Amino acid sequence: MTTTESTPTNSGPALTRRALLGRMGVLAGATAIGPALLAACGSDDDSVDSGGGGGSSKALWFENWPAYIDEETVALFAKESGLDFNYTEGFNDNAAWFAKNQRLLADKKSVGPDIVAPTYWMVARLINLGWVQELPLDAIPNAANLVPSLQKPGWDPTGAFSLPWQSGMTGIAYNRSVTGRDLTSMADIFDPELKGKIGMLTEWRDTVGLTMLLLGADPSTATLASAGPALDKIEEAAKSGQIRQFTGNDYMDDLASGNFAACVGWSGDISQLALDNPDVRFAIPEEGGMQWSDTMILPAGAENVDNAATWMNYVYDPENAARITAYVGYNPPVVGVQEILAAGSDEEKALAESPLLFPDEATLARLHVFASLDEDAESGFEERFATIIGA
Amino acid sequence: MAGEEDQTRRSGGAVPYALLSPGMLWLILFFLVPLGTLFKTSLSTKPSRFIPELSFSWRIANYTDALDKYSEQFIRSFVYAGAATLLCIAIGYPVAYVIATRGGRFKNVLLGLVVVPFFTSFLIRTLAWQNVLSDNGPAVGLLDHLHLMGLLDALGVAVDGRLLATHAAVIGGLTYNFLPFMILPIYVSLEKIDLRLTEAAKDLYNNGWQAFRRVVLPLSMPGVFAGSLLTFIPAAGDFINAQFLGSPRNSMIGSVVQNRFLEQGDTPTAAALSFILMAIITAGTLIYAKVLGTDDLI
Repeated sequence: MTTTESTPTNSGPALTRRALLGRMGVLAGATAIGPALLAACGSDDDSVDSGGGGGSSKALWFENWPAYIDEETVALFAKESGLDFNYTEGFNDNAAWFAKNQRLLADKKSVGPDIVAPTYWMVARLINLGWVQELPLDAIPNAANLVPSLQKPGWDPTGAFSLPWQSGMTGIAYNRSVTGRDLTSMADIFDPELKGKIGMLTEWRDTVGLTMLLLGADPSTATLASAGPALDKIEEAAKSGQIRQFTGNDYMDDLASGNFAACVGWSGDISQLALDNPDVRFAIPEEGGMQWSDTMILPAGAENVDNAATWMNYVYDPENAARITAYVGYNPPVVGVQEILAAGSDEEKALAESPLLFPDEATLARLHVFASLDEDAESGFEERFATIIGA
Repeated sequence: MAGEEDQTRRSGGAVPYALLSPGMLWLILFFLVPLGTLFKTSLSTKPSRFIPELSFSWRIANYTDALDKYSEQFIRSFVYAGAATLLCIAIGYPVAYVIATRGGRFKNVLLGLVVVPFFTSFLIRTLAWQNVLSDNGPAVGLLDHLHLMGLLDALGVAVDGRLLATHAAVIGGLTYNFLPFMILPIYVSLEKIDLRLTEAAKDLYNNGWQAFRRVVLPLSMPGVFAGSLLTFIPAAGDFINAQFLGSPRNSMIGSVVQNRFLEQGDTPTAAALSFILMAIITAGTLIYAKVLGTDDLI
């Protein structure tokens, strides 16, 4: 189902980065374990030293989120690098991945993939636990192309452990044919007129962050106390039936079918969904939106570090990054992508002008990244939020 | 139970045990040992959510806290599973009866038709229901057209003119997903009944209904019992139907276990919840067997 044309284009909503995740998350047990077992068998002869840093083998395994790359880039890289490149899409859920692999990570044993791309807050957790390896930045000269705003970010203050894969914005997604009007604020999400037609993300940093902004609180310095009113508001909306369901990535189906009039959603999903269904729209709430990054790391115990560096260098080449961006519809972390798209085909030119892919300074100024939380605070949030969603 | 004489005739020294040993070994390794580990986990504390190490501390509070906090989800799970089981009997028994008694040479085809939809994955079937029941979908459209939505709203089946994200949708999903597990055992027990027994009952002045109630129904109870267990137990622990067909107000205990275990990394609570679920189901099953008087039938 993936397109592999020579001029990559957005291929429609069927394949967005997170589209399948809600469903696949449920199957994560099955889907993620399969490749892991296979690779566990295969890696014995591939690599001799399991301590990390080995470079003699040709093997490289990147486990990424589903539908988060075009097939062409994978094939081109394998050809150009001559590596035995294994690209899988078994990463479905940060917390579930962590729960499955924490024993191996704690023992500094290989979890299988050499590279994974968890969301920024999970990366912060892994760095704090010491469960990631430093990147061989000397072997990644293109890392210099990282956009300034993501250099030494909050989740990786030295910038030594991670390179962003894609970034995105969280805002309001709505189906105009159901709402009958444009939505501009999170206040619309809590509007009783839309009762029973509202979706929110189980990714609580997004849901709680946007609600905090509505209430005038700052999610970038959030504590359980400062988020209290926002959590209360969400809880009240869940109890009253205002919120129909908390979803993972399956919100797109509900939005397209009209089950959801509006929901909290991710920019790239909507930019793709809108191609097929122009009624589906995305807005950064006037009171502010959230921003996140999925970030490449080398888990402790990853074996093919040099090969991983070759890959990271490849995707930080603006030409290659532009090809990926054209396909996934998120915000590229690489400088120069917009210029390359602007010089391309008509479709690519349109992408270069899309505010969802390349938000202007004014929009960027309204985006916030959720605070880094220590273990106690994080567990407090998770427990409270779980109660709200009924789990 | 077999008599003593019977036993000595059958026993061939160690042979039965030797034949049993692979199965026993399997059960010990993959059931009893994990069960013991789970039990230990359920009485432990986890100093850090991030570090997998547990410290065993006989923490009974894991159980009381879990019961205290999640009684709502427990009750809801059992009510939903119970309702789904009753619906499965109501729908499944007539189907099994017709296939067993009137199926003739089409029996196998009809049984095949019962099972065929279940070759698709559980998840896909549930998501298909999400489409069927969706707000702008065919079911709501048809019911609207027939002016029945108002009635369903009044009956509490629909809420605000929608079928999805309601109690009824979750119970309906559970019923649909576990129906074959009810039909097949009932069919098997009905199939075994010699229908000449009903003729005999009629000879003894029973009418058709009495013959069914006094002869066929009691003889098919083992099937109903087995079907109920096969339906109720997995339905009580399910979380897929609640997730995709329900709302936050329809979540079941399976959702809590899933969240505690995978999202929060709180293995002791997840383990305690699992044990509570197991204990309640075991107790319920024993009572059910007593009430139905099926302990000598199975």
